[in-house]
Amino acid sequence: MNDREFYVNSIFKEMHSTIDSLYVTCNSCTKNTLLNSLRKNISDLSVLLQGAQNDVQKNNTANAPDIISSPNKSFTRAELSRYNGKNGNPAYVAVNGTVYDVTNNAAWAAATHFGLTAGRDVTREFTSCHSGQPILSRLKAVGKIVT
Amino acid sequence: MNEKNINCPNITMRLETASVLVNKAIDAVTMNKIQKRNLIWLELTGCSGNIISLLDGADPDFKSLATQMVKIVYDNSLMAAEGEFAMEKLFNMLGKDYILAVEGAVSTKDGGLYNVIGRFKGESITAYRAIKELGEGAAYVIAVGTCASDGGISAARPNPSKCVGVQDLLNRKVIKLPGCPCHPDWFMGTLAYILLFGEPALDERARPLMFYSTLIHDCCPRHPFFEQGVFAEKLGDETCMFKLGCRGPVTRVDCPIRKWNDRVNWPIGDNSPCIGCAMFGFPDKMKPFISYNTT
Ligand code: SF4
Repeated sequence: MNDREFYVNSIFKEMHSTIDSLYVTCNSCTKNTLLNSLRKNISDLSVLLQGAQNDVQKNNTANAPDIISSPNKSFTRAELSRYNGKNGNPAYVAVNGTVYDVTNNAAWAAATHFGLTAGRDVTREFTSCHSGQPILSRLKAVGKIVT
Repeated sequence: MNEKNINCPNITMRLETASVLVNKAIDAVTMNKIQKRNLIWLELTGCSGNIISLLDGADPDFKSLATQMVKIVYDNSLMAAEGEFAMEKLFNMLGKDYILAVEGAVSTKDGGLYNVIGRFKGESITAYRAIKELGEGAAYVIAVGTCASDGGISAARPNPSKCVGVQDLLNRKVIKLPGCPCHPDWFMGTLAYILLFGEPALDERARPLMFYSTLIHDCCPRHPFFEQGVFAEKLGDETCMFKLGCRGPVTRVDCPIRKWNDRVNWPIGDNSPCIGCAMFGFPDKMKPFISYNTT
């Protein structure tokens, strides 16, 4: 186990025990302290993740990147429509020109979300429902839309 | 699978919320600490499933609610009076103190003519008129079930009678208890809380946080399968039904803890994906209810 894995594992352990404590505490002050500790864990994890992503990117550049997983891949709308999450195709959606992978995103069960289907540009719907929410940063970007 | 976590304090506490509140309210009424308030239950454009669900309540049960907690002034399925006599009881409440529970959406097309709930003094009383007249003057309005909360099945496309949720017609706060049907605990717990302490803490969509604070997915006993990517391929598989189209990840309510029919089971516990019946937008926005060829 390298240093990074060790840190990640210990952060996960700490988070689990914080969550267990959250279940049993009724005191709002203790709750806030525990929630703050969870926030700190999340920010530590995101720093570690960023480091890991940088390493992966370095490796990918060295070994010729996989075109599908590269955020630089370009999609026309017709191409995007093939990624509908059905019959072996991953589920991609576009928001503000960026294409995101929602294949295993919990809110996109069976590649559908509140009446929307994957393989489409959902910028309008996203803006009307999730404007200001930190959702896109948590999705994996896989490319850009070209017109 | 569903019997796991039975000793978890979170689950035990949440299971007891409704019964603790109802028992407290009954004690307070018995000791004359609080008044036994009037309850009007209107059945509007829907299937009357919520009143049937309420009758199925267990610990707390409907009998305690009806005999010891509130005075039920009007409910067309339960009251002895009928016709003009029943409507008189209803409209006699105008200007008095009452809590209004509404199930069913409100049909608005052609002045609400597609749902007439009775006749009074020679006039047809539409659901639309009843909600307009009784809604503004109520001490609290509780929308019971998804149709009353958001239109629900009654407002599903193409919505020929132009049904809407109760909130769309009232210029006041409507507490919403979506669910198709509403769980008896959600209604009885909310009502008991109102009697004891007034309005409960609500989320931004006016749902009581004590019942609607967590996603089904967050408390689902199959969540570990989701995390590990072990997905059901067909109905009957006892793993995570995400790829079959489970709406647990977008539905905010406590079914996995509370369960149904005397706490015997719930849809996912019986290998059926959550169809999001307690979520705004149901049913149109929760479709398809089942999919088989997901990647
Ligand atoms: S997707 Fe459905 S079955 Fe799977 S963990 Fe979430 S709620 Fe449970």
